Amino acid sequence: MSLGPSLACIGLMGKYDNPLHIAIFEPHSAVESAHLEFSFLLNASLDIFELRASDRNRVDQDLGMLQAIDERLSTWGWQTGTGTKFAVIVDMWGKQGRPSTGSAIKGEDLKPVFKALQTAYIRLLQNPFYTPDDHTPMAAVRSRGSAGEIKSKKFIAEVKRIGDVWTPGLEKF
Amino acid sequence: MASNKAARDGEKIWKTNVDKVNAELVTLTYGTMVAQLCSDFNHKYGEVNQQLDKMGYNIGMRLIEDFFAKSGVQRCGNLRETAETISKIGFKMFLNITPTVSNWSADNKSFSLIFDENPLADCVELPNDGRAQDELWFSNIFCGILRGALEMVQMQVEAHYVADVLRGDETTEMRITLLRYMEDEMPPDDE
Repeated sequence: MSLGPSLACIGLMGKYDNPLHIAIFEPHSAVESAHLEFSFLLNASLDIFELRASDRNRVDQDLGMLQAIDERLSTWGWQTGTGTKFAVIVDMWGKQGRPSTGSAIKGEDLKPVFKALQTAYIRLLQNPFYTPDDHTPMAAVRSRGSAGEIKSKKFIAEVKRIGDVWTPGLEKF
Repeated sequence: MASNKAARDGEKIWKTNVDKVNAELVTLTYGTMVAQLCSDFNHKYGEVNQQLDKMGYNIGMRLIEDFFAKSGVQRCGNLRETAETISKIGFKMFLNITPTVSNWSADNKSFSLIFDENPLADCVELPNDGRAQDELWFSNIFCGILRGALEMVQMQVEAHYVADVLRGDETTEMRITLLRYMEDEMPPDDE
């Protein structure tokens, strides 16, 4: 297992700020309340998404670091042209869960992550049996119960792979 | 020997004689159509397979003419030659793939086409409703196309999928069985 920073959580939010998929990685995945806690963190980042995305001078989909939560966790964001948001929470302590002497994370380090996530998302959208309209808050209300989250096994597995293998400086997944 | 020549011919025809379209266009169009059929037929996948086969049959009957015009292929001497032509020239010419011909039966009347790649099924993940994985043959239109095309050259065949990677199988395999050579003056099948 590699030392140094790793990904703690990957979150996908739709145009209506609805959660599409949340993946949590080691060592946090072992914590029972992790899903709730990371949902809060992702939720808290949505305002910053909106703020950054409304910047007229913005040319890139990459929104950079959204917030540093504490000395350990920080949230990074990416918003596509259709308003789909990718949020990545980086854990400076890494998979070991201990402070390490890794250098600071740069935006460049996370670009491949977002690119890979976007590719996975595009592939998901190209699946004819995936209907984006079924994954909005309105549809979730109609269907009662299912929250409109992504269920595709391929997509979930790919997100998990991205979160598991990423280390700073990794160019290709 | 014959197989090599077919491969060379196929390559040449693909390079020089064929108009090409964007792959995503084909994939998305076909995928949307199948998904729509599934919802139209209330996810009765047996019916969907049948519809796809029927559509394919209608395509095949027309496509064979185009195939001859562009390829200049002459009459095949036996089923082995036909199989090679289907794979190395037919599929190559229309989809730029060459499924492997294998698993010949002892009487040389049936064989399998193994698809390493399938442009129709790129990015497809079958619905996870517990039935689609067992009942739907996503690319069933191919079976109909082959049936229709071969019928126009007096060969009655039966074609069906026996495995599909979309269902979690190792390979995608189509089984084709020659039923009989039809007489020229036979009235056409009423389908």
